Amino acid sequence: PTSRSGPVAANLKAVKETMDVLLEISRTLNTGLVMENLSIFVLSCEQGINPEALSSVIEELCKATEALKAAENMTS
Amino acid sequence: MATPDQKSPNVLLQNLCCRILGRSEADVAQQFQFAVRVIGSNFAPTVERDEFLVAEKIKKELIRQRREADAALFSELHRKLHSQGVLKNKWSILYLLLNLSEDPRKQANKVSSYASLFAQALPRDAHSTPYYYARPQTLPLNYQDRSTQATQSTGSLGSSGISSLGVCGLGGPTPVPQPLLPGQSHQAQGVGDGLRQQLGSRLAWTITANQPSSQTPTSKGFPNTLSRNMTRSRREGDLSGTMEVTEAALVRDILYVFQGIDGKNIKMSSTENCYKVEGKANLNKSLRDTAVRLAELGWLHNKIRKYADQRSLDRSFGLVGQSFCAALHQELKEYYRLLSVLHSQLQLEDDQGVNLGLESSLTLRRLLVWTYDPKIRLKTLAALVDHCQGRKGGELASAVHAYTKTGDPYMRSLVQHILSLVSHPVLSFLYRWIYDGELEDTYHEVAADLFTDLENAFQGKIDAAYFETSKYLLDVLNKKYSLLDHMQAMRRYLLLGQGDFIRHLMDLLKPELVRPATTLYQHNLTGILETAVRATNAQFDSPEILRRLDVRLLEVSPGDTGWDVFSLDYHVDGPIATVFTRECMSHYLRVFNFLWRAKRMEYILTDIRKGHMCNAKLLRNMPEFSGVLHQCHILASEMVHFIHQMQYYVTFEVLECSWDELWNRVQQAQDLDHIIAAHEAFLDAITSRCLLDSASRVLLNQLRAVFDQIIELQNVQDAIYRAALEELQRRLQFEERKKQREVEGQWGVTQVEEEEENRRVREFQDSIPKMCSQLRILTHFYQGVVQQFLVLLTTSSDESLRFLSFRLDFNEHYKAREPRLRVSLGTRGRRSSHT
Repeated sequence: PTSRSGPVAANLKAVKETMDVLLEISRTLNTGLVMENLSIFVLSCEQGINPEALSSVIEELCKATEALKAAENMTS
Repeated sequence: MATPDQKSPNVLLQNLCCRILGRSEADVAQQFQFAVRVIGSNFAPTVERDEFLVAEKIKKELIRQRREADAALFSELHRKLHSQGVLKNKWSILYLLLNLSEDPRKQANKVSSYASLFAQALPRDAHSTPYYYARPQTLPLNYQDRSTQATQSTGSLGSSGISSLGVCGLGGPTPVPQPLLPGQSHQAQGVGDGLRQQLGSRLAWTITANQPSSQTPTSKGFPNTLSRNMTRSRREGDLSGTMEVTEAALVRDILYVFQGIDGKNIKMSSTENCYKVEGKANLNKSLRDTAVRLAELGWLHNKIRKYADQRSLDRSFGLVGQSFCAALHQELKEYYRLLSVLHSQLQLEDDQGVNLGLESSLTLRRLLVWTYDPKIRLKTLAALVDHCQGRKGGELASAVHAYTKTGDPYMRSLVQHILSLVSHPVLSFLYRWIYDGELEDTYHEVAADLFTDLENAFQGKIDAAYFETSKYLLDVLNKKYSLLDHMQAMRRYLLLGQGDFIRHLMDLLKPELVRPATTLYQHNLTGILETAVRATNAQFDSPEILRRLDVRLLEVSPGDTGWDVFSLDYHVDGPIATVFTRECMSHYLRVFNFLWRAKRMEYILTDIRKGHMCNAKLLRNMPEFSGVLHQCHILASEMVHFIHQMQYYVTFEVLECSWDELWNRVQQAQDLDHIIAAHEAFLDAITSRCLLDSASRVLLNQLRAVFDQIIELQNVQDAIYRAALEELQRRLQFEERKKQREVEGQWGVTQVEEEEENRRVREFQDSIPKMCSQLRILTHFYQGVVQQFLVLLTTSSDESLRFLSFRLDFNEHYKAREPRLRVSLGTRGRRSSHT
C-alpha cells in the first residue's frame, strides 16, 4: 500500500473536484448522466476518442436498445 | 475511481455498450463491433478543438432554450472547470455533453432518451469470456494511436482489387450504420485495415468457439435485405448422418483456410504442401473438388504471409525490401478485408438463419466466384515472392520490374503498382546523389555496377539537367548581375576603350599628377574622375557601372610623381566575382598601368608637337635658333613614329583581337566554366602581348627606357623653349624701349645699352651649341635604346612582336646602324624558332 503523500492526495482531490463540476454541467444540460457513466465518458474523451463519433455511437446504441425493448415487449 | 484510469478506450467502449444495452459483455458483441468500427473510422474530429468555442455553443443553446439563469450557471461552472488543470481534452467532454443534452421543454417520449438509459448502473456479471473479449485492448481506437499508425493510403487503382466486392461504407463525420450489403461501394480508406484484419481473424474464433444457440434476434435494427436480393440455392447436403459434412461446415472451414488456419475438415498437409479435405469425411465429390480449389487461396496466402513476415524481421533487408514487404502487407490487408466481409456475412446468417430456417447465401460456388479476382492477385503476388526470394536492394527492384512485362493488364497494373512502391527508395537515393552529391546506401542495396549502369542510362538525363542548370545560371548572371555589361565596362575603362573619357581625364589630371606623389589626395582625384565622367560619353553608362569606377593610388616610392602612382579601379562584388577574381583584377590593373603609360607618352609627344607649332612662328625671327629647333623636330618625329606603332600594335593587334575572341566565346558559352576559361585566356593573352609577363621582362624594361627618353626630350625641349622665349622676350623689350625713346626724341639706345644687348645676344648664341649637343646626345641615346628594343623584338617568340619590329623599322633606318638587325625577315623567323 502506497502512502498517501501530499501531491497524490491533492491530485485526487483535484480530480474529484473536476468530476463534480462536470456532473453539475451535465445536470445543467439535462443529460441525465450519473457519475459512473459520466466518468466513462470523461475517460474516453481524455484517451482521445473523437466525441463526434462517440455521440453517434451512443445514439445508435440507444436506438438499438429501443428496438430490443420493443421486441421484448412484443414477445413477452 | 482507481481502476478505470488504466482502462483502454476499447474496454471503456465495451462498458458503455453494456450499460446502454443493459446486457452483459458477451451479448453486446455485435454492437461493440459496430461501435469499434464507427470510432475507428472517424478518429479525426471535424469540429474545432477549441474549448471556448464549445462553451459558447452550449451557452447559446441554453439561451435559445430561454434558460438564461442556467447559461450563467454554466459560465460559472466552466470557469471553475477551466481553472482546474486536470483534464486535457476539455473541449471533447463538453462537446459530448452538448450532444447528449436534452431540451426539458420537449416531451421525454422520444425513443432515444438517454436519461432513462444512462441512469441505470448495471451489475457486472463475472463471465468466462472467450478469447475475443478478453483482448480488445489491442485494437487502436484513439486519435493519437491511429495517427502514429497512419498508413500512406496509396489510392491507386492497383491496390483496391480485393475489396472491390464491397464492404459496408462508413463515410463522413456522422456515420449512419448501413446494413451489410455486399455490392455497395467501398470507400477505400487505409485506416480501418488493421482493425478489420484483426476483426476478421477474431471473428473466425467466435464462430467456432461460441456457437450462439438461442440468441434472440438482436439485429432487428438491421434490415435483412439479403433475402430480398439474393436468390437462394437449396442447401446441399441436407441429409441425415452425423458423418456427413455439410456445405455450410465446409464454407466455415474454407473461411479459415483462406487465412491459413486449419479448419475442421480441411487441413494443410505438410508432406504434400497443400490443403486436403480429410478423406474420411463423407463428401460429395464436386464439393470436395470445389473445396480444394478454394483452398488454393489459403496456400497462396500462407506463402505470401510467410515471406512478408520473415523479411520484416530481417533487419538488414534494406529499404527496397521493406517497401516490398509493406506493399505485400497492404495487399494482404485488402484480402483480409474481403474475408471479414465474408465472415460477417456468415455470422449474420448464424444470427438469423437458424431460427427462421433461411438458407445460407454463402455457398462454395459463390465463394469461387467472389474469390476469383483475389485469387489472381494472390497468384501474382506469390509468383513475385518466389521470383524475389533471396534478393534485395536494386536486384529486388529489377526482379519486380521483370514481372511488369506481361500481357495481362490486370496483372501488369498490380505489378507496376508494387514496382512504384518498391523503387521509391531507389529513386530517392538517386535524387540525393544527383542533386546533393551524397551517397547514402546504408543497406548496400545499390550495387556499384548497377550504379554505373544507371549512370550510363541516365547520362543523357544528367547532361540535360546540367545544360538546363547552366543556362539558367548564365541567364541569372547576365540579367540580374549584368556580367557581360561589367565585362564591357572593364574594357572601356580599365583597358582604355572609352577614348574620349580617357583623353579628358588625362587633360584634367595633368596638373595634379606632375606633383610629387605624396602630395596627392584621393578625394581630389576622385572628384576629377567624376568631372571627367560627367563631361564625356561615359555619363551615359548605367549608374551601376559608374559607381564601381574609382581611383586607386598605388604604393608610393620616394621620388615618385603622381603619374607613377595613379590607377583606375573597378570594384567587383557579388556573383560576378566568380569571373572577375582578385587575380583577374590585378591583371587588369597591370595592363591598365601599361596602357596608361603608353597613352601618357602619346600625350607628351602631342604636347611637344603643339609646342612646336605654337612657337615656330614666334621663333622665326631667331634664325640662329632654327638649327636647334630642327633637331628637336626630328627627334620628336622619330619618337612619334615609334609610339604610334606601339599604340597601333597594342590597340589593334593585342586588345581588339583578344577582345573579339573573348566576346565571341562568351556569347556562345553554355555554362559559367566556359566564360571563366575564356576570360582567363583573354587576360593571359593581353598580359603576355603587352610584355607584362615574366618572359618579356627585358623587353619591358627596354620599352620603359624608351619612354624615359621621351620624357627627357620633353624636359629638354621645355628648357630650350623657355630659354628661347626668354631671349625673344628680352630682345623684343629692347626693341620696344628703343622705339619708345625715339618717339620721345631721345637717342634710341645708348652705347652702353647696345653693348650690353649685344653681349647678351652673343651669350645666347653661345648657348645654342650647348643645346644642340644636348639634343644630339639625347637623339643618340634614344636611337640606341630603340635599336636594342628592336633586337629584342626580332628574337622574340611571339610572331606579332616580330612583325612589330618590322613595322617599327619599316624604312630600315635602324637596320642601317645596327649590324645585328641586318638579317632578312625569313632568317629572322627561322632564327627565332631556334631560340
